Amino acid sequence: MPERTVTVASKVGLHARPAAVFVKKASELPVPVTLAKDGGKPVSAKSMLQVMSLDVRHGDRVVVAAEGDGAAAAVDELAELLESDLDG
Amino acid sequence: MDIYISSPLTGTAIGLPEVPDPVFAGLMVGPGAAVDPDRKLQTAVAPIAGRLVKLKPHAFVVQSEDGRGVLVHLGIDTVNLDGEGFELVATEGEDVRAGQPVVTWNPADVEAGGLSPVSPVIALDAEASAIDVIVDGNVVAGDELFHWR
Repeated sequence: MPERTVTVASKVGLHARPAAVFVKKASELPVPVTLAKDGGKPVSAKSMLQVMSLDVRHGDRVVVAAEGDGAAAAVDELAELLESDLDG
Repeated sequence: MDIYISSPLTGTAIGLPEVPDPVFAGLMVGPGAAVDPDRKLQTAVAPIAGRLVKLKPHAFVVQSEDGRGVLVHLGIDTVNLDGEGFELVATEGEDVRAGQPVVTWNPADVEAGGLSPVSPVIALDAEASAIDVIVDGNVVAGDELFHWR
């Protein structure tokens, strides 16, 4: 299962606005995608409730994973998003 | 099961498109409503009964027993205040009833600091079509704000 570990760049972490941008992108992807804190339990990257409840902070290491056709591309796309500053 | 979402604040109920933040106004966080709060010290209350799964000074999420989450965001860009001016009166992880006090703040102070105190109340992971806004205009904390089918 393709996965990538990245450091969250958004200064406020995955709070309301960055979380919304991330979840919207994840929801558009054709495959199931998950987000986990490094070493933690994965949650659906397509759920605002679950992503916000993860309480991801700036600088946290998180794991993005996906499965199925196109999983690697999906992981890359979300990983790049997490590594950019979504606060603006 | 249908649930009714109570207004967390006393003020004026407005539609999300009127919120001065494109992410909330564009329903990207989710559908719901917003409250333009009265400019006085007040305590935001839980919009539904459930568990306070996330509690920050400027925002909190209550999750109902059937798994629905409602986000209350006190003001716009208030994450940058680092909690200053917000006093927590509940504890993260606690079970709360609808209308239970959660955070005390003063929207007038937020506004004086150059930020909008308009507070979105969001049905997380809901379809926009599942939400019926009940109130438009004056609302008192604890009054029904919208209906989630």
